[in-house]
Amino acid sequence: MLRHLVASGLLILSLVSCQKQTQVERANEEGILILGNSNEPKGLDPHLVSGVLESNILHSLFEGLCSLHPSDDGTALPGAAERWESNDDFTVWTFHLRPEGVWSDGYPVTAGDFAFAYERILSPKLAAQYASMLYFIKGAEAFNRGETDDFSSVGVEIVDDFTLRLHMRGPIPFLPEITKHYTWYPVPKHAVLRHGSMDDRFTDWTKPGNLVSNGPFTLKSWRVTHHIEVEKNPRYWDAGRVTLNGIRFLPIGNTYTETRMFLDGQLHATYTIPPEMIEYARERMPEMLRQEAYVGTTFLRCNTERAPLDKPGVRRALALAIDRESLIENVLQGGQKPATGIVPPFGGYDPPGDLAFEPEKARELLAASGYENARGLPSIELLTTDRDVSRRIAEALQAMWKQHLDLEVRIVQREWTTYLQRQQDGDYDIAYGGWIGDYLDPTTFLEMWKKGDGNNNTNWSSPEYEALLAKAELTADPDARYQVLAEAERVLIGETPILPLYWYTTNYLIRPEVKHWNPLLLNHHPYKFIRLEP
Amino acid sequence: MAVAEPHVPTRAAGAAAEVEQGTSLWQDAWLRLRHNKLAMASLVAVLLILATCFVVPLFIDLDPNAQRLDNKFAGPSAEHWLGTDQLGRDLLHRIIEGGQISLLVAFFATFLTGIIGILYGGISGYVGGKLDSVMMRIVDGLLAMPFLIIVILFRELIKVPVEKLSDWLIADVGLSTDLVLRFGNIAPLIVAIAAFGWLTMARIVRTQSASLVELEYIEAARSLGIGHARILLRHILPNALGPIIIYATLTVPSFILYEATLSFLGLGIEPPHASWGSLIKEGANFLETRPALILIPGLVFSGTLFALNFLGDGLRDALDPKSSKD
Repeated sequence: MLRHLVASGLLILSLVSCQKQTQVERANEEGILILGNSNEPKGLDPHLVSGVLESNILHSLFEGLCSLHPSDDGTALPGAAERWESNDDFTVWTFHLRPEGVWSDGYPVTAGDFAFAYERILSPKLAAQYASMLYFIKGAEAFNRGETDDFSSVGVEIVDDFTLRLHMRGPIPFLPEITKHYTWYPVPKHAVLRHGSMDDRFTDWTKPGNLVSNGPFTLKSWRVTHHIEVEKNPRYWDAGRVTLNGIRFLPIGNTYTETRMFLDGQLHATYTIPPEMIEYARERMPEMLRQEAYVGTTFLRCNTERAPLDKPGVRRALALAIDRESLIENVLQGGQKPATGIVPPFGGYDPPGDLAFEPEKARELLAASGYENARGLPSIELLTTDRDVSRRIAEALQAMWKQHLDLEVRIVQREWTTYLQRQQDGDYDIAYGGWIGDYLDPTTFLEMWKKGDGNNNTNWSSPEYEALLAKAELTADPDARYQVLAEAERVLIGETPILPLYWYTTNYLIRPEVKHWNPLLLNHHPYKFIRLEP
Repeated sequence: MAVAEPHVPTRAAGAAAEVEQGTSLWQDAWLRLRHNKLAMASLVAVLLILATCFVVPLFIDLDPNAQRLDNKFAGPSAEHWLGTDQLGRDLLHRIIEGGQISLLVAFFATFLTGIIGILYGGISGYVGGKLDSVMMRIVDGLLAMPFLIIVILFRELIKVPVEKLSDWLIADVGLSTDLVLRFGNIAPLIVAIAAFGWLTMARIVRTQSASLVELEYIEAARSLGIGHARILLRHILPNALGPIIIYATLTVPSFILYEATLSFLGLGIEPPHASWGSLIKEGANFLETRPALILIPGLVFSGTLFALNFLGDGLRDALDPKSSKD
């Protein structure tokens, strides 16, 4: 009895003492960074994901040929490759891998692993949604579409174990920047094949205990809906630079909950911050609030095979009936910009700007498409995520279409993985969507609307559009190239398979002890440079 | 005869005889209820809430989904008595609409559970024997399952058929979209709650019916050759009505709570429509910034639950005086 009393007394004492120290303070002592990461990731296979939240975890685990710079998105630092060079017209690139580079299980990282990874993501049977990121390589598109099953026709050449040569489809001066992206990560051939065949989507190689990676961190544990934790990889070639002992990613779907956890000392940084909380944070802790430019666009995808969205006039009417200014000012409140196109404005690219709020014209267009006053329209569903802010945006849009077009739209909220899956399956009418640039070039927003691209999902395609993109590929002069790309975007926006909503600004909270977390347009913060200095 | 009422000496003998004829059970109960101040106050409150939710909208133009984005989070004004929410919608209108939905779900579900539970429990108790055992073990089995999880699963299961049905009603029968969608919205909730909510009611009725069936007047009815159905409906169930009413009154608030829980989890009513649960869920987001958005719906909600529970307690005391003595 006495023993029990002592034991429970100790337990209570330890609980009380725990409460004095917040989770973040304890994590500071342990050198662990705790990040809010929105939702449960769809997976950790770099070839089979496409979301930002998955990318946040993956770039702690893996490293491509080149790696992320802590303060400049446009610069590529040496990664798995210690140096690289190209020929004069940027059509052939040679990467020299570092001989000391090893996987977390001690196997060397070789050119063969990269070639295996590229063959894997491009193999039609794997059906990687994001395979088009590798179409820059000569022959990659044909191989991915199944026009040939001979991988030697693709421009990936293993010169020796530590030299990889890539032959491009045209001049690609920005290739080193692209190789930072997770679709270009190597995967451990020996470990993938141990758990299944190369092109099997459903193997266990990414499970904790099985996952072998080459980045600054390795996967420690994954408790579904609780956290994913990564720990420092002692075999990483630049391990001396890594000061964090680990990172914990928490899937917190409710942004209000996330902000409250941050205020309660449970997170070092939030994934985002809900609209009203921005004002609240600005008043109370301005030093922790960050509002930064971000190359990303939010839009609505239309399933162009489903009536009435198969009619461009209906889609355009929907686009013109959205009061973007009001949506941003009143619902989002985070300094976003109304989007008139898919490519956000950056670095000299001038997006076409003919999408404004014109309810009169929208009604006329709808009438011209045969639905005067929305009469005879089949019921339309708006698919969105289960976040509170998504619901609010959806409700605002629903009311705008009701008010300006007399159109009834039903809101369908689904959790993240179902929401992604339904879009991929084409099982939706209109779906809320967002796209974050993978590199700083308009093509990162334009390539995906080609026919058959894994991220298109709208069933829309246009030969004219693709001809313009092909023309841009061969245009060397940067200004002329941007003009061709802008022309392509005009074709896209003219047919409106997507309804642009707004251009992103990231709003989030971060604690002051997190150092070297710099504003980045692509928002990929390389964890190996981050320090905790409480 | 005057001995019967020695404290009313002025009263004539004839009048006393009238008193002796007695008040009915219901009059008795009403008298007892009237002396229970808390229960009467609750009754008034419940009637007020019902009137606000179902009668007032007949006279004013209810527009709970009209947005004015530039007028969000407005304070109380002549136009918006309780202010507006995050999308500039009138909070009072939303609370009224939410009340309609929450109360309709609860009342319909209670009604359905009543019917299922009374028939099931009545038959089980009346027939007795093996059938009774089997029927009650089924109830035990279902009661053992976690109610909320079962309801959520069942609701997902019947959602698609209900959607198909409402599409058919709109397209082929030609009912108005608004009406069908509104009911299509709450029908899966009602059915799901009722489908698993009748179990306790069945148990209560079964106990009543099993004890009543032993009484002499049932035997008398039997010996007169009255059929089983008639005995059950005319002689047993009316005598079990007290406990049924009490339990039903206490079921309504618990169903309101279930509906709110489901809506709070995002599994209830579809946007943009409101129920009290979804209003509280949305309001919870503005706890720090606009506390009124959770406080007002929360107060209305808990006030209603309190009132219904007190009324249920009062009815129990009134209809079943033995239990009130403890």
